[in-house]
Amino acid sequence: MRRRPGIGGLQTAAAARDQYRLLGENVAKIRTDLMKEQLATFRSQLEDFARKHKNDIKKNPAFRSQFHEMCAKIGVDPLASNKGFWAELLGIGDFYYELGVQIVDICLATRSHNGGLINLQELCTLLCQRRKTAREAISEDDCLRAISKLKVLGSGFEVISVGKKKLVRSVPTELNKDHNEILELAQAHGYVTVNEVDRRLSWSSGRAIDALDTLLEEGLAMIDDGHRDGKRRYWFPCVSFSASVGSEALKT
Amino acid sequence: MQKLGDFKLPHFFNYPPYFTLQPVRDTREKQLQLWKELILDFCRTQKIFIIGLEEEFSLFTNPVIERSLSHEAKETFLSALVSEGRAEWIDKGHKKCLILWLRIQDWADCILRFVKDNGLEDSVMTIEEIRSGIESRGTELHGMDRTVLIRALKLLEHKGKAAIFKGTSADDEGVKFSV
Repeated sequence: MRRRPGIGGLQTAAAARDQYRLLGENVAKIRTDLMKEQLATFRSQLEDFARKHKNDIKKNPAFRSQFHEMCAKIGVDPLASNKGFWAELLGIGDFYYELGVQIVDICLATRSHNGGLINLQELCTLLCQRRKTAREAISEDDCLRAISKLKVLGSGFEVISVGKKKLVRSVPTELNKDHNEILELAQAHGYVTVNEVDRRLSWSSGRAIDALDTLLEEGLAMIDDGHRDGKRRYWFPCVSFSASVGSEALKT
Repeated sequence: MQKLGDFKLPHFFNYPPYFTLQPVRDTREKQLQLWKELILDFCRTQKIFIIGLEEEFSLFTNPVIERSLSHEAKETFLSALVSEGRAEWIDKGHKKCLILWLRIQDWADCILRFVKDNGLEDSVMTIEEIRSGIESRGTELHGMDRTVLIRALKLLEHKGKAAIFKGTSADDEGVKFSV
């Protein structure tokens, strides 16, 4: 803008600024309204969609997981409350609470086998076995959602990633970096030896023994002195025990 | 699933660390529990009464994973059964162990049931007949250990429900039921 001299010039400039501001506000308001409208439409569409595909959401775990993802993107949490539209429509809240209770059950029953650390995949298999009678299939995604709801109870349920696997922790044991690395190493064969840990992670021998002793104490590892080579193996039920062994634990 | 004859082995039998005594208390308790159940189950279905610790015993070795129980482990598991009254050491050196998958009392009840089912009240049978006769075929009594049988019968005698009498030789001891 070309600057003109005098009071008159300053006043014109101020008036022009006001005009611009007003116009800007209008444009912004129109945009927000439009956005709001779009979101409202989207939301009602989502509700329509949920109503229409109610059965799919209930029965098909893959569909359910995609639905959750979609909801999360527009800030709708079907699990947030057990009351209201979503719960009434889908009964999803109850579904996950039920899963949560069953997950706690399984974790407790298998604790003496695995020290309170269970492979998510195995947990899911056990959950399905347990719910044989229920019609809906359960996916790992469902397990994760149910576990995230358990966190509210402050009971120390947590999902940790070790290597490629996800493990569900139901005891307050703190696993440090060393422990995690050993668990990751153990995924290859289900066990590790002190030598192997030293070699693969380039640790001093004392460090490996320390970490393995802790894991043993916590009930997460079991020793095996029976191999021909006479080297002690440390097995980790949470990464190597098959689901079928876990189901034996459930029976007793 | 792995089998031993017609016996279905549990999954833990294929997990190597279960063949090594576990040093941590909680883990060992679980290990003991599983082995105790397995031993009783196996002996019951295979009608095994005596386990010799120094002899080959198929349940204590798993060739598939190349693991066997150590002498110490065998003795620990069997001692746990002994302390629960489900087994007895036959000798002081703990080399042979009598497995009571049924307690003597349960065996006595079993005999009474057998007597009633077959209308043998007030009749006489020899010990051998009970162990291997036609009547007992298909019941738990068939093929049972002689000493266990005699102990169960003595318990019944003590309760006044049977009377044992000696024949001319050791193998024709008889028993008269008076249920």
